[in-house]
Amino acid sequence: MQALCSQKKNPDVDILSISCHIFATESPHFNITNRHFQLMSHYRSITKQLVISILLLTVVCFDQQIFAQDGKALFQQNCASCHAVNKDLTGPALAGVEERVTDKKLLHAWIRNNQAVLATGNKYFTDLYTKYNKTPMNVFPNLTDGEIDAILGYINIQAKAATAGPGAEGGKVAAKETATDNSLLFGILTLILAIIVLTLLQVNANLKKLSDEKEGIPSYEPVPFWRNKAYIALFAVVLFVVGGYYTIQGAIGLGRSKDYQPEQPIYYSHKVHAGVNQVNCLYCHGGAQDGKHANIPSLNICMNCHMAINEYSEKSEKLYREDGTEVNGTNEIKKLYSYTGWDPAQKKYANEPKPIEWVKIHNLPDHVFFSHAQHVKAGKVACQTCHGEVQNMGEVYQFSDLSMGWCVNCHRETKVQFTQNNFYSIYEKFHNDLKNGTLDSVTVEKIGGTECQKCHY
Amino acid sequence: MKNLSIIAVCIGAVAIAACSDVKRTPGTIYMPDMAYSRAVETYSDHRELQAEGINYTARPVVGTVSRGEDVIYKMLADTTGGYLKSDQLHNPLAPLDSATAVEAERLYLINCGICHGPKLDGNGPLYKGGDGPYPVKPATLVGDAKYEAMAEGTMFYSITYGRNMMGSYASQVSPKQRWMIIHYIKSKQNAGKATAGTAAAPTDSTAAKK
Repeated sequence: MQALCSQKKNPDVDILSISCHIFATESPHFNITNRHFQLMSHYRSITKQLVISILLLTVVCFDQQIFAQDGKALFQQNCASCHAVNKDLTGPALAGVEERVTDKKLLHAWIRNNQAVLATGNKYFTDLYTKYNKTPMNVFPNLTDGEIDAILGYINIQAKAATAGPGAEGGKVAAKETATDNSLLFGILTLILAIIVLTLLQVNANLKKLSDEKEGIPSYEPVPFWRNKAYIALFAVVLFVVGGYYTIQGAIGLGRSKDYQPEQPIYYSHKVHAGVNQVNCLYCHGGAQDGKHANIPSLNICMNCHMAINEYSEKSEKLYREDGTEVNGTNEIKKLYSYTGWDPAQKKYANEPKPIEWVKIHNLPDHVFFSHAQHVKAGKVACQTCHGEVQNMGEVYQFSDLSMGWCVNCHRETKVQFTQNNFYSIYEKFHNDLKNGTLDSVTVEKIGGTECQKCHY
Repeated sequence: MKNLSIIAVCIGAVAIAACSDVKRTPGTIYMPDMAYSRAVETYSDHRELQAEGINYTARPVVGTVSRGEDVIYKMLADTTGGYLKSDQLHNPLAPLDSATAVEAERLYLINCGICHGPKLDGNGPLYKGGDGPYPVKPATLVGDAKYEAMAEGTMFYSITYGRNMMGSYASQVSPKQRWMIIHYIKSKQNAGKATAGTAAAPTDSTAAKK
């Protein structure tokens, strides 16, 4: 816009000043007006200069923006699969690369064709090459000088942002949920009310005693409440009901560990992995579709990602244990490294690995058969049906009580997915009935899901 | 005395309320020898077995090959030479039909999509255009000439043994599943090439601007 305006203005100004001069030569009597016009044209040239300089400035600024954006795109397209700005990966961290390699021509040559630079025997680059296990860097002969500068510019911006980052982003404090537990409030209220009732009863008794004395009715020594038969009977009934309830509940709960939430050797948050980062359950627990066990992932599966992800970003949501203490995610990742023997500095498994002793939460007794594959693959049951919303759990707890009643109930209610499921193709009668419309659905019970020997044999 | 009992009740109420409801122990078990198997099962502690005179090793014996495994891939397990030779491997599976294509896509989305993206654009939820926790840009499987030209055998090698920052997926996907996933990637790449004629025009115009 500005460019257009100034371009339009320029010829106007020139024409005006020219016409002024003509006017001045032709009629010398109008000296004042002439000077006035000259002054005007002088101002015009100043505004013209101003407009042009502003224009230039905006163009330069805008250009830099394009420059940075291009740098990001080019960086992600060409470099990011091996390099990060602030972290050593397959290749070294690129922050401060221009300070390390001051010769710009050499740096450009290296980026375009590193093998050619290596062939010249440059000491710095040869050392770097051997340090990174002689992994050859890709060659980029098509990158222009401008593009390489854009990439380097992007790296500089990112490096500066990272050094300035922690102070600026530290202010973000995750508001921890203060669980308002109403039961305590209600308890205190009940207690206060009970005390008031007791005092009022006492007051009533005293007043009655006083009035009785006044009217001359002989008052007996009151029976203390622990010998009052009504009180004793009431107490016995309450004890029986409350005690009976808890005894039965405890007896039913024997051997069921619903809500069991052990502390694990590493604070592994399913919320971070399966929730925020959307890692599929079967990525780690792939055994659930192949066998009886939904396997606990072996360490190499953790290291698929954690070879590169070695810190829990400060920008992410803070982690808390169930008792409210904060968890340092980066420390937990370091614990993983101590188990796997991975040395992040050397980028290799330097030490002897040892298994992580995760605490088993879901336990079925020996006398019951359960297969994950049957439920996940043939039954197509979602993990969350039995395990709860694991993707929202910081620390996993046992969601279902895993009792037989719970199993049988689900088998009675769940409809088998008969369509598009080869597993149930042998149930010809049911398929025919479904087609005829004599049956609207087949429950697990109908295909023998509540037979004793299906699970107990 | 009465005051004392009131205080006791108050303290009791506070103590019960202060109790955490986090259950850190599994609770009492009725017949523990039935609940916790006496047999050596998956994930049971095997450190004591050696002391009891039972010969047990957690790792397969050196040189053994599991059933159904192709011996040739074992031979590629060395560091540098294998990768270069791996392009000589060919996909033994027949091209995907409609049923296996669905299964291959499912396997891809579970195991690969997290980094390489559901659209195979190298922008999965872990990378999220550089905002995710994963610091490295995963390979752009569709749209990058390097990966479109990559031999199937080389892809197989990379899945089996890992490549650069990518780890080995040998423990997660079986050889057959790996080949299925490779079929899926190749089919997506071919589909991408077919539509590339229309998509190429805008990229060219941006290139011309620079």
